[in-house]
Amino acid sequence: MSPPTIEYAIPATVEHRALAEAIAAQHLCSENPPLRLSRRIYDTFDWRLFAADLGLEWASTVASGAATDAPVGAFNGIGMGSSRQTAPPASASPQGSAPAQLLCLHSLRDPAAPIRQPFAPEPGFLSELPNGVVRERLEGLLDIRRLLPMAELISTQIRLRLLNEDGKTVVSVVIESNRVRCPAAGGEADLSARLRLKAVRGYRHAFALAERWLQEQFALEPADQHQLLEALRGAGQHPGGYSSKLDYRLDPGERADSAAKAIHRGLLRTLEANIEGTRANLDSEFLHDLRVATRRTRSALSQIKDVFPAEEVADFKERFAWLQQVTGPTRDLDVYLLDFPELERRLPPSLGADLKPLQELLAGQYETVQADLARALGSRRFRELLRDWRGFLDAPLPSAPGGQPPSEDRPARPKRALQPIKRVADQRIRKMLARVRAEGSAITDASPPEELHELRKSCKKLRYLMEFCQSLYEPARIREQIKQTKVLLDNLGRFQDTAVQAQHLRDTAESAGCLEGGLPPVTLLAMGALIGQLIDEQRRARAAFSAVFDGFNSDANAARFDALLGESKAPQPSAKAD
Amino acid sequence: MSIVALYSIKGGVGKTTTAVNLAFLASAEGRRTLVWDLDPQGAASFFFRIKPKVKGGGRALFRHRRALDAAIKGTDFDGLDLLPADFSYRHLDLQLDQRKKPKRQLKRTLKPLRREYDLILLDCPPGISLLSENVFAVADALLVPLIPTTLSVRTLEQLAAFLDDEKAKKVPRLLPFYSMVDARKALHRTTMDSVSDQGLPVLNETIPQTVKIERMGLHRMPITAYDGDEAVVAPYRALWGEVKRTLSLP
Repeated sequence: MSPPTIEYAIPATVEHRALAEAIAAQHLCSENPPLRLSRRIYDTFDWRLFAADLGLEWASTVASGAATDAPVGAFNGIGMGSSRQTAPPASASPQGSAPAQLLCLHSLRDPAAPIRQPFAPEPGFLSELPNGVVRERLEGLLDIRRLLPMAELISTQIRLRLLNEDGKTVVSVVIESNRVRCPAAGGEADLSARLRLKAVRGYRHAFALAERWLQEQFALEPADQHQLLEALRGAGQHPGGYSSKLDYRLDPGERADSAAKAIHRGLLRTLEANIEGTRANLDSEFLHDLRVATRRTRSALSQIKDVFPAEEVADFKERFAWLQQVTGPTRDLDVYLLDFPELERRLPPSLGADLKPLQELLAGQYETVQADLARALGSRRFRELLRDWRGFLDAPLPSAPGGQPPSEDRPARPKRALQPIKRVADQRIRKMLARVRAEGSAITDASPPEELHELRKSCKKLRYLMEFCQSLYEPARIREQIKQTKVLLDNLGRFQDTAVQAQHLRDTAESAGCLEGGLPPVTLLAMGALIGQLIDEQRRARAAFSAVFDGFNSDANAARFDALLGESKAPQPSAKAD
Repeated sequence: MSIVALYSIKGGVGKTTTAVNLAFLASAEGRRTLVWDLDPQGAASFFFRIKPKVKGGGRALFRHRRALDAAIKGTDFDGLDLLPADFSYRHLDLQLDQRKKPKRQLKRTLKPLRREYDLILLDCPPGISLLSENVFAVADALLVPLIPTTLSVRTLEQLAAFLDDEKAKKVPRLLPFYSMVDARKALHRTTMDSVSDQGLPVLNETIPQTVKIERMGLHRMPITAYDGDEAVVAPYRALWGEVKRTLSLP
């Protein structure tokens, strides 16, 4: 049961010391020494805490220029010294005591009662946080994302205590001037000053009296936004502003080349947003999102056909394929290492520990592939790709037909560039659907794994197309069809991923390092057992394929696709629709 | 959450001064801390300038969660609350005895506070009683101030023997420490040496006898909160550090 707190915004015209004097003149009051506080505000890159209405701050006092050397009592009102009270000034020294670094988890809807956890090192991954109430609350929210410093709130506080007749604090008043700094970009900015009126548990009446008195005397307005949000915005952040999810708002009548550029611009923004995090390897999701944006870009280039000049499309496809290729090895290792606990679980408990040397071997390879990746992302080739692609997307669209025939300087316009995007989307989704159905129908129990792999690729293209163009369709219908496609993709993914993992294990075991004694025999045996498990899993996925595909290829699903795409009938299945 | 009791069979050994100072140091580190002043004399309440009064008395606290919530008062220090003393606590043994499972009432009463606080310090009255047995049932550790005199050591031995008899159940860790030590007194020195020779496990850190600590009552707050004299404050900090290490608190 936490006592209430009210935060008021102090108008810029009000002088803080004069305000404190005015309060002190009318109350039995004591003043603590002023305090300079630094609070870093953390969230994940994709704003998971903000999305959950939470704000995390890591606080330390700024004493003698040392941001982390907090004196004992910094957070609990030490320094009872006062010109109006009998107690001498506090000078409790931090010698020998642990720095009082404190994590506070705020509800962004409620200025009172943050959850507090002392002795927290700088936040990073959840697994690195010491056990405590904040960690408990964050369980399940962060997954594998790292907490990053988004803003630093620097405050100077005048701290008053309103006292009762026993000299006991019954209300706490903090007058706070604030600045904000962006940890990444540097630079400081002013934030609104605040007066924080805080009740002391068990003294609600005194709080109510103080609240009324403040209102009558100064007519202060309650602060209109949580201080953490104000600080984030003041630091130039856009809470909730990043998501790798596709959420385009396309106009069905918009010309297809314009809509395609809008889709590509969104993907490019996602790709660019993740470059620095990938280079610095802040967490594995940066690279994941960068690769997904790259894959989607390649998919959109090939699937939203005939809207851009063919030569440029071919050039960019090749260059983005290079990007996909150079980011692959690190992602493979990420997946391997992230899945490692799952791999261990697949084995009997007595064998699980035998895999440890494999984990160490993979972790040892990580530095090299990450360095290669960082080099590729810092290369001229990559910079030029981004520059050229941005230039292409920002170039003005070719004008509508004006009667001039194509020439060498003015090549023929791609045939669908001017068509409405809805028509192009309908046509492309139908074609990809037909291809998926044709490829799936051709798969028999005797088909080689490559055919399932091809089907998976087609299926992904269909899914991406629907996701790019989601806003052009009735929301519930398109969501349902994306969901149906994902069911098939999940089955194909399980088949393919287990095959890749088994092959990777085999390759690792056969690699030069291992043949020369890099892994002990027990580890190789455990890897063999694991390959057996993975092959079993792959077999189960393969056995389930027919039923899953039959569901996708059912009349009911076909009818839903027809309803989604309108009256015109979907083309008959053919081996290759393109 | 940890529960540490400042407990001694003997009175006047420095339980309350230690309780309020350790509570202050703990809350200063950001721990959500509660002191329950179980002594009807109300010295801990006095140090925090809080009236030793609980609506409905001790009986209400053991009966109603709401009474417990309403009785807790914030001190002058963020993160440090007090459950004040009440004169009715002098009848606590009788009240506890009238309830089912009389030795587990304190444990039951404190259960809902486990999520609200990181540390609960019980400032116990002297003696060994039904309330003491309640304290033994709930505390993770008994921090026992020990004036280095023969009688004090004897009471510690009595307590250790009592807890030994309780071995079948979970018993708190016994953490005696020397309190009100006057190094000029030969008796204090020889007692400490003899205890050490007997191998009794006493904490290393000691709290000296000083006029400044005696004057804490004039300031009505923990000395660690207002006095800059390292000679006075450092022993409490060192003791708190040793308690944390011994109990593996973060």
